[in-house]
Amino acid sequence: MPIAVKDVLSRLPRVKFRVIVTAILATVILHILTTLAAPRLAPSPAYGRLVKLLPVNAMKVLPPIAPGAQPLPFMGPDSRYAMCLFDTTKGSVRVTATLPGAGWSLSVFSDKGDSVYTSVAQPGRRTDVSLRLSTSDGKFAGLTPEAAGQAIQEDRSLSLSVKRGVAILRAPDQGNAYGALNEAELKRALCSVTGKVAEAR
Amino acid sequence: MLGNAGYLLHRARKRAGIIINRAADYAMFTGFVLIAGIGTSWYMVDTGSGLTTERVGPWVTWLSAARADADPYTRAHFARAGTLPMSTEATQTLVSRYDDGGSRLHSSCEYVVKGHDIAGSWWSIAVFDDDGRVISNPAERYAFTSDTIALKPNGEYAVTLARDARPGNWLPTGGAGRLALTLTIVDLGLGSSEKDREEEKNPIPSIEQVACR
Repeated sequence: MPIAVKDVLSRLPRVKFRVIVTAILATVILHILTTLAAPRLAPSPAYGRLVKLLPVNAMKVLPPIAPGAQPLPFMGPDSRYAMCLFDTTKGSVRVTATLPGAGWSLSVFSDKGDSVYTSVAQPGRRTDVSLRLSTSDGKFAGLTPEAAGQAIQEDRSLSLSVKRGVAILRAPDQGNAYGALNEAELKRALCSVTGKVAEAR
Repeated sequence: MLGNAGYLLHRARKRAGIIINRAADYAMFTGFVLIAGIGTSWYMVDTGSGLTTERVGPWVTWLSAARADADPYTRAHFARAGTLPMSTEATQTLVSRYDDGGSRLHSSCEYVVKGHDIAGSWWSIAVFDDDGRVISNPAERYAFTSDTIALKPNGEYAVTLARDARPGNWLPTGGAGRLALTLTIVDLGLGSSEKDREEEKNPIPSIEQVACR
C-alpha cells in the first residue's frame, strides 16, 4: 500500500470492526422485526374495518361500490361483492357459492389478511364451490378440484390455522343487462355454522 | 490548594469529555441502526423491490399478493394498505400512480390510457384517488371492464381520464388530486398456443398525458 494512502487511512476516525459487525447485525434484526410487526401495527387493517360492517357467519351482498359505500381502499368498482365474516370457534362454517362465468371468484382470507383460498370461474362453465371452514389442524393448499372445473363429489374441507376471517364472492361488472342476474347469484351464496367444534380442540 | 483544585477540574473535564464521546458514539450507533433498520423495512414494505414487485413502465404489481406463501414484505404491504387483493394465483393487479413520462397522475391533467384487449382474460381498469377511494362523479363511472369497455374493431381501446366529459371511454377524475390507476387481469385458464403468444400484443396499457390545466 502506498505511503500516502496509509497516511490518509491513519487519519480517518477508527471504527472497530466489531462495532461495524454489531451495527449491521442490529440493523438486520431491527429490519426483520419491523417487517414482521408491520401487519400488527397497521393503522386500519381490512378485517378490522369489515367487522364494523358485516354480520358474523352470514353472507351479505354489498351495495355497488360508490363514494361512501366502499368498505376497503382500492376495492374495485368493477365488481359486485358478497362477503361473509366467519368465526369457526363455535362450529365449522360452510360457505357455498356458484361461480357462473368469467370474472367470478371466491376468496377466503384470514383475519390477518392472509389469503387461504381462491377459486376463479372459467368461461362457459358454472363452478359450484362448497367449503367447510373449521379450526382443525389439517392443511390445505392450492385450488380445489371444483376450482379447476371438476364436479363436486363430496364436501371439501378447508382447514384454517386461524379462527376468523372473511370469504369474498366477487361478481364482475358485465353491464346493466347482467346487474339483476349477478345480484341474484350473489344472494344465492350461503355462509352458516354447520356443527359444533369438539370440546377437545 | 488552587493547584490541586485545577488538577481536579482538569480530571473532571477529561472524564466528562470521555463520557460525552462515548454517549455520542452510542447515539450514532443507535441512530444508524434505527434509521437503516426501520428505513429499509419501510422502503421494502411501501415500495417493494425486484424480489417482491414487477414493474412494467409506470405499472407496479406485487408478485405474491394474497398468496398463502406470500413473503413478509407483501403481507405487510397489503396489511398496511388495509386491502384484500385478489390472489396472484389466478389474477394480476397492477397499480400506477405515474404516467409514461414519470409525472404523478393528477386530476388537473388529462390522460389517455391505450391498450389492447387481453385474450383469454377478464380485465378491468379503475381510477381511484391517492388513498384508494373511488372518485365521486355525476356520471357514476368508476371503472371499465372487458365486458363494458368500447373496443375498436382491431381490439384496441383508449380510456380518457379527465375532469370533464369526453367522448368514448371516459373515466371522470373530478377534483380528486393525485390519482391511482389499477389494471386487474383475471386469467381464465384458457391457455394459448405458441403462435397466439407470439402474436399477442403487450397487454399492459400506456398512460399518455394529453394536457394539464
